[in-house]
Amino acid sequence: MMGMLATIVDTQALLKTVVASAVAGVGVTFIFSLAILGASRFVELSRDSRPAAAIAFGALGIVALLAAVAAVTVGIIVMTRK
Amino acid sequence: MQNDVILVIVVGTALVFDVTNGFHDTANVVATSISTRAMAPRLAVTYAAALNFAGAFISLAVAATIAQDVVSAGAITPTVVFAGLIGAISWNLITWYFGLPSSSSHALIGGVVGAAFAAAGADAVLGGGILGKVLIPAIVAPIVAFLVGGIAIVVCYRILGRERPGPVARGYRLGQVVSGGLLALAHGTNDAQKTMGVITLALIANGNLAANSDPPTWVIVSAASAIALGTYSGGWRIIRTMGTRIIKMDPAQGFSASGAGAAVILASSHFGFPLSTTQVISGGVMGAGAGKRLSAVRWGVAGDIVTAWLLTLPAAAGIGAATYGVTRIFGTGSLGPAIVTAIGLALLAMAFARRIRRGAAVPAP
Repeated sequence: MMGMLATIVDTQALLKTVVASAVAGVGVTFIFSLAILGASRFVELSRDSRPAAAIAFGALGIVALLAAVAAVTVGIIVMTRK
Repeated sequence: MQNDVILVIVVGTALVFDVTNGFHDTANVVATSISTRAMAPRLAVTYAAALNFAGAFISLAVAATIAQDVVSAGAITPTVVFAGLIGAISWNLITWYFGLPSSSSHALIGGVVGAAFAAAGADAVLGGGILGKVLIPAIVAPIVAFLVGGIAIVVCYRILGRERPGPVARGYRLGQVVSGGLLALAHGTNDAQKTMGVITLALIANGNLAANSDPPTWVIVSAASAIALGTYSGGWRIIRTMGTRIIKMDPAQGFSASGAGAAVILASSHFGFPLSTTQVISGGVMGAGAGKRLSAVRWGVAGDIVTAWLLTLPAAAGIGAATYGVTRIFGTGSLGPAIVTAIGLALLAMAFARRIRRGAAVPAP
């Protein structure tokens, strides 16, 4: 039964799709959440006059945002190469 | 001349299917953004329509006609394609009426399979293709999206659960605009290509194009315009189901659902594994709700949606087969499709007139 299914379904493509979906979906959510955290804490800490911590969170926010933008760019490239 | 009449009817019907595809599937793209107030409703559908239109031009490779994988090529005639399209359009309208998100692609496949079965018998149906390209993905897609959406919302709450809600909500709303845009682009690319493929197939079958030709520019522009027009008109009933009836969504859940949906669809596109956009987004929405707590999902509504998924293939196939049977009563020429089209238009006009008399059941926000 499994053998027959394997000949009908491209199980390699299926497995890769599942893994890539999980990594991309959870990964992008993770980095975008870090971007929000960085921005939110930067504003808060700047207001509290704690510049060093504010800059650290600001940097985290910018790096995470750039990573999220890169992920979206990869998504558009994937679409154009179909 | 007779063949040209059938061709014109098939092209017109394919474009009508494209419009129903757009307005039926608008919810996939905009429901989460509207329900979390990331975008105003009319702005959201305009944005989705524009990106649907643009998406149709992103990949101009000839659309792999789904019919090729599920029915034998010899069974495909313009009348079979016409009957299949009527099956798909009818099912899209029925599920839209009940506000149920269902797969337009599966409706098209079901319609064509049913019509081919009626035309050429069981040998015309490729069981392996249906299992591998339709049924297995139909099971896998919502489960993967459910799990990804569920894990993603847990990640959101872990990272930002103790932050001030205002900036967090604003951040996720911004993220939804981007992830919703990706979904709209992907939807335009995937679904407009199906219509382009159907029209190109009809043009090839009628001798207007050589085999393996690319879709002509007018086909690309008309398919892109039809899906954008359908998206702009907004299937508000399904938007309401997807955006508010499955779960009551906060911005983090909306972002998790649409982000998970975009990731799953793009990953499947990259690896060439066909998944239904509708099932992916619905699964993502349910996952984002269940990730917060299981009771947050209205499982009765979810059950209705799953029932619609299960019925899509057989129902569209039944309508496609019946339509083919009706057209054959009038012979093999263009009279049958012309009469079915006239009946369809009359039914639509009656439904439209009835709606005008009663007022819109679900007014556009």
